[in-house]
Amino acid sequence: MNLLYKSYYFASYQCDHSRSFYIDFGHKQVKLSFCQLLAIRQKVQAIDLSSHFDKDLNYSGIEILSLCNREHLFVFDTLQVIDLKQLLKATFGVLELNSLVAH
Amino acid sequence: MKDIVRQKIGINVDVMDLLNEQISKEAHSAAVYLAMASWCDHNGLVYSAEFFYKQSAEEREHMLKIFKFINENGGTAYSPEVSNINHEYNSLQEIFETALDQEIQITKSINNIVTKCRKVQDYGSENFLQWFVKEQMEEENQFRRILEMFDLMGTDGIALKLIDERIKHE
Repeated sequence: MNLLYKSYYFASYQCDHSRSFYIDFGHKQVKLSFCQLLAIRQKVQAIDLSSHFDKDLNYSGIEILSLCNREHLFVFDTLQVIDLKQLLKATFGVLELNSLVAH
Repeated sequence: MKDIVRQKIGINVDVMDLLNEQISKEAHSAAVYLAMASWCDHNGLVYSAEFFYKQSAEEREHMLKIFKFINENGGTAYSPEVSNINHEYNSLQEIFETALDQEIQITKSINNIVTKCRKVQDYGSENFLQWFVKEQMEEENQFRRILEMFDLMGTDGIALKLIDERIKHE
């Protein structure tokens, strides 16, 4: 497996053999198709970070995300959400760079 | 390392994001035209109402065209949420001005995506969007022609009724 990006809490990988991706969430590793990776990216991008700093909008300061058609359920705190946003942004950046190099 | 992303998706991921935003905009336009049709219906402007029902259906068709394009090319299209639809207008002229402004915003948005396509060399998406570029020119011109009727005929009484009947032919 090729490491794509490692953030503080998480890491992303590409597996050439299975033509899939992996995200290591620390306590568990999740295998993802490209479509599922896109879905996570969309969900994480849609998280409004500013609401984490407003008690009326997000009192507990957590995000609950269901991934891969509700196969996995995650609870993230604010720092983890920031880290996850960074991970996905950087992962897609590396994948784009790889496309440029490959072609 | 294999380029799995390119194997899975035929369009640029950033372009896909912009196309998904465009889906939301087209859906919003469809809903706005529906609200305009309702206003016209309630104010006895039956041909204008019919015109906006048709416009609403066209915007939905545009939305679906983009939606299917994303999915057919390996991306993921997201069904949009539509909110903040205004139902209150002062006149038919205001409605058509608002509609023209909305079309201008859509044109700008399409042009912005075409610019991005060129930047990232996504020529497939650019080619797909050329249909929208042409369509937007036609849409804008249609609303301009209708607004010219208000300039020529005025906005009161019989003039309004005559304009409504002329809109039938647009």
